[in-house]
Amino acid sequence: MVKRNKKWLSLGITASMALLLAACGNGGSTNKDNADGGSGDKVELEFWSFWGSGMRRDAVEDIIKDFNKSQDHIEVKYVYQPWGDIWTKSLASIAAGDPPDVIVQDINSVQQRADAKQATNLQEYLDKEDEDISSRFYPQLWDTVMYEDDAYALPFNTDTQVLFYNKDMFEEVGLDPENPPATWDELEEAAHKLDVKKGNNFERIGFYPLWNLGADVWALNADHGTSWFDKDGNVKINTPEKVEALDWVLKQQDYYGRDTINNHEAEFGSGVADPFISGLVGIRAQNINYYTNLLENAPDGFNYGVAPLPEKEEGSGHWSWGGGFVLEAPYGAEHPEESYEFMKYMTSPEVQEKFGLNSFDIMANEEANENLKEHPDLDDKGHMIYDMAHKNLEQTVITPIPLEAPDYTELVNGQLDEAMLGNKSAKEALDAAQKSVEDLVEQHK
Amino acid sequence: MVETTSSVTKAESTPKTKHFKSRKRQKKIGKIITYILLIAISIILISPLLWMVFTSLKPMNEIVKYPPTFFPESIEWSNYTTTVNAFPFFHYMKNTLFITFFVVLGNVVSNSFIAYGFAKISFPGKNVLFSLVLATMMVPGFVTMIPQYILFTKLGWVGTYLPLIVPSFFGSAFNIFLMRQFYMSINNELIEAAQIDGANHIYIWSHLMIPLTKPALITIGIQSFNGAWNDFLGPLLYIHDEDMYTLQIGLQTFQNQSTTQWNYLMAGATLVMIPTVLLFFFAQKYFIEGMDLTGGSKG
Amino acid sequence: MATTSTSKQNKKKRWTKKQKKDAWWGLLFVSPFIIGFLIFMLGPMLFSFIGSFTNYNLTSRMEFIGLANFKRMFTQDELFWKSLYNTAYYVILNVPLTAVGSVLLAVLLNQRMRGISIFRTIFYLPAILSGVAVYVLWMQLLSPTSGLINTVLSWFNIQGPAWLFDPVWTKPALILMKLWSVGGAMLLYLATLQNVPKQLYESAEIDGASSFKRFYHITLPMITPIIFYDVITSTIGAFQIFQEAYVMTDSGKGGPANSLLFYNLHMWNKAFVAFDMGYAMAMSMILFIIVLVLTFVNLKLAPRWVHYS
Repeated sequence: MVKRNKKWLSLGITASMALLLAACGNGGSTNKDNADGGSGDKVELEFWSFWGSGMRRDAVEDIIKDFNKSQDHIEVKYVYQPWGDIWTKSLASIAAGDPPDVIVQDINSVQQRADAKQATNLQEYLDKEDEDISSRFYPQLWDTVMYEDDAYALPFNTDTQVLFYNKDMFEEVGLDPENPPATWDELEEAAHKLDVKKGNNFERIGFYPLWNLGADVWALNADHGTSWFDKDGNVKINTPEKVEALDWVLKQQDYYGRDTINNHEAEFGSGVADPFISGLVGIRAQNINYYTNLLENAPDGFNYGVAPLPEKEEGSGHWSWGGGFVLEAPYGAEHPEESYEFMKYMTSPEVQEKFGLNSFDIMANEEANENLKEHPDLDDKGHMIYDMAHKNLEQTVITPIPLEAPDYTELVNGQLDEAMLGNKSAKEALDAAQKSVEDLVEQHK
Repeated sequence: MVETTSSVTKAESTPKTKHFKSRKRQKKIGKIITYILLIAISIILISPLLWMVFTSLKPMNEIVKYPPTFFPESIEWSNYTTTVNAFPFFHYMKNTLFITFFVVLGNVVSNSFIAYGFAKISFPGKNVLFSLVLATMMVPGFVTMIPQYILFTKLGWVGTYLPLIVPSFFGSAFNIFLMRQFYMSINNELIEAAQIDGANHIYIWSHLMIPLTKPALITIGIQSFNGAWNDFLGPLLYIHDEDMYTLQIGLQTFQNQSTTQWNYLMAGATLVMIPTVLLFFFAQKYFIEGMDLTGGSKG
Repeated sequence: MATTSTSKQNKKKRWTKKQKKDAWWGLLFVSPFIIGFLIFMLGPMLFSFIGSFTNYNLTSRMEFIGLANFKRMFTQDELFWKSLYNTAYYVILNVPLTAVGSVLLAVLLNQRMRGISIFRTIFYLPAILSGVAVYVLWMQLLSPTSGLINTVLSWFNIQGPAWLFDPVWTKPALILMKLWSVGGAMLLYLATLQNVPKQLYESAEIDGASSFKRFYHITLPMITPIIFYDVITSTIGAFQIFQEAYVMTDSGKGGPANSLLFYNLHMWNKAFVAFDMGYAMAMSMILFIIVLVLTFVNLKLAPRWVHYS
């Protein structure tokens, strides 16, 4: 027994020493150094994104292969990093001064990263171009990458919030499936027609505004496209329009009852069971990329349509909200010029079209989406989605994180919840949120 | 209350008394109650896991259905083949095993060694040092995460397994503390006697203490296996090459910005659990064997 | 801080030869920790200490701003107090519940019975599962209408709460989930129970002591060193609860009415959402002090109830 212990111990210590030495040997030389020293002038770029498997990964690897073949100066190496955590990791690598060359980043925080010197200024490369690169993209997407008149990223893909509605269900209750609700009143009316009530319980809920969409989007829709902050960074939380919007949401909650709503929300909150596919709701306001879900999981012949978010009242505008991702060269990346070359390639109309076609993403490049809405390789539903997306992006607002209040979300959400729980009126909650966020802005000045 | 001892067999062989028969019946009832409790708790503890396994066998269109089913209506074994093919599953398993092996080795040896110093030898500054051990537990991890990352970058270790493995050979505060507690309940006379016989501390540690603390060492072994096997943040931060990824990173491929493939995620999670379950099943036997040695191996 | 009987004697007596030799041995044994601490820990710890007095943003800024972070924390940051409250609530319930639960399970499992190794494995299983799978599982189990927990409650005519969607019930839901994976702590107690000499039970049995008495007078005192360890470390761990809330509240948004905005979650948001790392480091200092004080109290109380052999 004892002897065996000793043997085991010495074995372990030798093994670990060997490992230490072996690994230390590798430690100094990373891939990048090899590439630089090795094959002449060829620059190796490391490209990080969170597309790990399936359609998006295949699409991006295909595109990278094309890019590597298309020229002999740059070789791109793709590295998958887990969704969400990719940004923690990139931040650490930027802080340590050893970042990758290109990375897919959240569109809403480009300015924040530019401000904190986490992203490379691309303006000098853009200025050298004959072509106006910015005209490739939807203007509001381009705005998000600008910080103090310089661009720090190139938009890659985007999304927008729309209504998905079940056409068969519309037919069933006598609504016109080709004429989806266009105002909040119509939406409410349609919702109540679609409701199925048994005793005190709702077996089917026509529509509830807060499933898959935040109250912030309804507030923005009501307030003519102004989010919690206006263009100049002023806090605009308790505007009369937004108070009305929250009141309207509260009215919908009261109609169905908070318990019913809570139960349903909890039921589907984890994203496993899907109430729209299961026929438990008739209309759903949601990110347009929900299309991929339907594509994969809806039964054959599931008959649905898409429509813009209704406007609060006629003429107030079908304002919607969107997000997306950009390509960024982290600050301290070794070959910014080559990184820019690759990013430019990735945002060209042809490549964008190809990525969209293979991933069903809505692209940041206008021309790509326009081509996709009639693309011969897509079916009718696909055309419908791209057509809707392209139109809807004209009235879609992107809400970059304000530099003066980067972490305002919990403050606002906390107050919204208070209102939803009935502890505060819409006005009281939004007033309180207004004050809290103003305080936060004050702290950051 | 519940039966607490394992001495049933021995007690039964004591001489018969009038008292004894009713005691025996009492024992039997106690045993039945124990079994009922064990089974009831097992059901509670295992049903979430069954839910996971059943989900891993469902086709996606059944998963999105409402109301959710507990048992799968149709069994989709192909979820498992899809899962192991979605990323180089067995290659990642090999990587994970490599890291885990050294982490367990490092933890078991170093903590047992260090804690012996804290528990059984007196030297100046010991209390200050031990306070330092405790203090390192109290610093929230992600505040030191970035400075630590910068440090490992300076050492040239980023992109290798070294940041994941090497620190475990220098002890971890939690395990040092745990081992110390185990040592504290071992009688000092044992050590003094050995010292009188001329044994030095290395000999006492390796020949007397290691056998005596076997259950504790196994516990640390299991816990650090579990920890390293399931570690996500460490490999995420320090490994830059997909060839060197671990299982937990691989599992993340089933999640992206818009969809989560629950069936594959659950299938993957089930597969990843299996090695730890097997390890535990075989390791826990040593707990009982430890007791078998001449009635409670301790002097 | 940690007092042992031997170290006190040292101070009074002069150093004998044996003690001097012992001192060298002691240093040899703890040297791996000292080396590891100097290489891997000291730098980052000092860095975050200094950082707490700056406006460090991780990548481009680190200016000394005195106590401004702390002032902001105590006077302007309403979510700081909220997160502190949430965390304290969680710690106060979680620590004793898991300690009692794991002791009871360990005692139940520490028997020689047919199939006991299967039961042990089953009891430990939940502690093996980690990551997102656990949280998704529990979000399903806690579903108000179709979830397993409320379904079982309804068999007894109890209407279960909305758990993760009702701010009153979010923290209890999380505590329940953590209680499920009590196997880790249970394992420690199971290992400790192996050290309890069997003869003690036998003699107690002959004396006719009841199960409860045996537990209270023999088992409990013998495992107090590990209870002590468990309480200290699980308090530290509970104060640092993070991942559960981060995953279950949709990327750390704090849950309904911020009821799951725990201290570390708030700190994370400050550090990695707002890039206000200096502030996060200041927050970590405060947490450090809180935990330090609690641990100190624990250590001072220890001699009253912890029995070393």
